[in-house]
Amino acid sequence: MYFDWITWTIWLIGFIILIIWIFIPAREFKKLVMKKRSEEKNKGQTK
Amino acid sequence: MIAIDYIIVFVFLLVMFYMGIIFYRWVGSSDDFYLAGRQLTPFILAAVIAATNVNLYSFVGQAGIAYKEGIPIIWQTWTGNMALVISGLFVIPIFRRLRIRTIPEFLEKRYSKGVRTFVAILWIFRLSFWLGVVLYTAVIASQTISGYDSFTAWVLIFSVVVILYTILGGMWSVAFTDVIQFVLMLGSSLILLPLVMSAVGWWPGLTEKLPEGALTLIKNTGTYDWKFIIAIFLLGIEWACVDQGLLQRAFGSENTRSAAKGLVLAGIITTPFALLWILPGLAARILFPDLANADSAVPLLITSLIPNAVLGLVVVGLLSSQLSTISGNLNGVATIFASDVYENVINRKATDKDILKVARLITFIVGIGMILFAYLVPVLGGAVNAYLTIIAIMDMPLFVIAVIYGLLWKRINWQGAIGGYIAGAISGIIGQFFYGLNFNLTTFITAGTALIITPIISLMTKEESNTQINAIWKARIISDEEILNNNVYNIIPKTTKGKLSLLVFATGLILFLIGVFMGSKGSPFASYLAVGGMIIYFIGGLFRTYTN
Repeated sequence: MYFDWITWTIWLIGFIILIIWIFIPAREFKKLVMKKRSEEKNKGQTK
Repeated sequence: MIAIDYIIVFVFLLVMFYMGIIFYRWVGSSDDFYLAGRQLTPFILAAVIAATNVNLYSFVGQAGIAYKEGIPIIWQTWTGNMALVISGLFVIPIFRRLRIRTIPEFLEKRYSKGVRTFVAILWIFRLSFWLGVVLYTAVIASQTISGYDSFTAWVLIFSVVVILYTILGGMWSVAFTDVIQFVLMLGSSLILLPLVMSAVGWWPGLTEKLPEGALTLIKNTGTYDWKFIIAIFLLGIEWACVDQGLLQRAFGSENTRSAAKGLVLAGIITTPFALLWILPGLAARILFPDLANADSAVPLLITSLIPNAVLGLVVVGLLSSQLSTISGNLNGVATIFASDVYENVINRKATDKDILKVARLITFIVGIGMILFAYLVPVLGGAVNAYLTIIAIMDMPLFVIAVIYGLLWKRINWQGAIGGYIAGAISGIIGQFFYGLNFNLTTFITAGTALIITPIISLMTKEESNTQINAIWKARIISDEEILNNNVYNIIPKTTKGKLSLLVFATGLILFLIGVFMGSKGSPFASYLAVGGMIIYFIGGLFRTYTN
């Protein structure tokens, strides 16, 4: 069976970007959510 | 499309709307609405910018041009990505330090309130028109893919959800949905590529069956020749340095270095991505050689090669590319109006709550304007021409007055800036509409006119000196925020690693330019040199953002 190195290399680079951009932004958003929650909590306590 | 595909699309739209509701609670101030509270991190920023940058114009317009003219149209994206690196390393850090929300706001700091209002009003129309182009291409693609022909129905499907979630969550919902949409559009492109390549006999099949020269990256003749690459690179630099829809995200970054990293990363990740819509455009030339409308090439590929159920996922990816662009630009126009026109001219005593209300109202009105403009696009000669005409005429003079003279020459005053901008735009209009010049020439003429007229008028009028100009000159070096947070980004590097990375970046740029000029002579090595130079350039740019 023929294996097309060019197409699959392009595909693999795209796939690696996809994986990185699923996990790292998810982690960064998680931190932002925690930060927002603690801000809201502090606001509530101040009131 | 079958029922399951429609269900997938419906669920996707519902999730996007739900995001708007969630982030509604996060918007407590106008800064939250415009800039996500200035908390965006580099990887989020990169996904958001990439998602805004890639839209159906890429999958429909650019792939359509690849179908007709071959691969060189990819330089529109690649040089745009290179421009993002230039902007990220040298220009955005200055804007971020000034803590501006819009480019017109910078123009007030640099020149005068009049210049700010003038450019803001022009840009409201310019971005609204661009939104119309974006919507139009989305509708055309959806008609082809689904087989459902109603223009109005598709316009409503695309507009309603995106307008709603942008009104509710502002930049917070724009940022979050953009990241999801970036992943979805990249994922769906990854589904499409192997199916398309296997249909044409993989890479050897593609090279064998395409007409001669279709895979030549740098041509010495034709519309998309080496001159096109230089012109589109210049336009790309202008776009990456002054486009509100793009830069507003960078203004929302957590700090100066994150803004630089976000832009550089966005440029890098969009570069291989471009192949995922250009290669299908080229393959369509082999599979459907006699298409009357090249813009339908990729939509046709999708309907004929993608099985049902998976088709729904791919359509969601394409929808994503469009929604992210629309939401970002809607938010951009709302910010310009609320910040530069309402807060600055109409109601100077407006409270933050008033401004937030106006921003949401304007998002709605611009959404309606976008729908109306979408109906005008076919009258103006198709999506691509309309977009290129607008950017060539209106953007280049803005770049000249804001970045070239605004950041580099203190003697330029507001009279010169307004005169240069108007003269540049008029020269572009005359060239395009009276002499029928192509957009390469229009770019050079508008830039050249603004470059000449701006200093002439400035030198003929009174020199200005105010503390705000001094603040801009200080922002070229450092900001108090960076000192306070102990996270300084030096535009001119101080360490050996920083200097070395800048050297690698500059070497890449020189190799790229040599490659392009070698292309003008028809050299067979030109493409290799230009692409190699571009890769070196990206590596140098990326390391630069991680060094000092």
